Amino acid sequence: MVSINLYLALAAILFCIGLYGVLTRRHLVIVLASVELMLNAVNINLVAFSSIGPVVNITGQVFTLFVISVAAAEVAVGLAILIALYRNKGSIDVIKHDLLRW
Amino acid sequence: MNTQMIFFLVFAIIAIACAVLVMKLSRISHRVVAMAFSFFAVAGLYFLLGAEFIGIIQIIVYAGAVTILFIFGMMMTEHRNVTFGSHPRKAHRVLSFLGVGTLLGVLLYGILNMDLATKEPTIYEKGTAHEIGLELYGNYVVPLIGMGFLLTAALIGAIVIARKEAK
Repeated sequence: MVSINLYLALAAILFCIGLYGVLTRRHLVIVLASVELMLNAVNINLVAFSSIGPVVNITGQVFTLFVISVAAAEVAVGLAILIALYRNKGSIDVIKHDLLRW
Repeated sequence: MNTQMIFFLVFAIIAIACAVLVMKLSRISHRVVAMAFSFFAVAGLYFLLGAEFIGIIQIIVYAGAVTILFIFGMMMTEHRNVTFGSHPRKAHRVLSFLGVGTLLGVLLYGILNMDLATKEPTIYEKGTAHEIGLELYGNYVVPLIGMGFLLTAALIGAIVIARKEAK
């Protein structure tokens, strides 16, 4: 039996890899992919607590379904925004898109 | 070391290695494929946890739909010979690495020193569509309807944002 701490540690590592990618990568598609990795790490936490936590319950898996739905909506709108940005500025470098930066 | 531990280690190593490859590979298409394999490994972890329905949904939605969306997004933008110039903000990467490393250290310290399950944990073997459906349409029916509205809005919004402007 794998203890829950190992699942939580794995989720923390995946979350930090995704966070590092969001902060440092410059290709917009890869930034979105890193956000998806972070959401996956959160889902691992929810399912782990739902299955082998101190209080096992199905609610965590229902929440995981909601997170997956929100992630699907987010990636659809995010890629649409990315395509619109690329059409308007001709670049997918994050640093070029700094209109809102002061 | 029993069978579950071996499978956990295999899936965990695949997931982490593919997540690192998403950061490190040079071509965008290879990165998207590495991301798909990371999603598959996470689906395997869900099966290992006894959550079959979530595992199937993970394969359908993430490894299938989201990966295809990323491939289309990659195809419709610049993907050949993507080379950026030198980074104008040098301290950015170092500060990000330090911040994320500190966060990871604190998280791992807290998690590995935590004593959650004193008794031998038992897998909750009820991650089937039946159980999830009863809960989803019982206690969570209002969030379910809200999710339907959100997905509709995202569908329409994505089409409106991504289409060409009328002349």
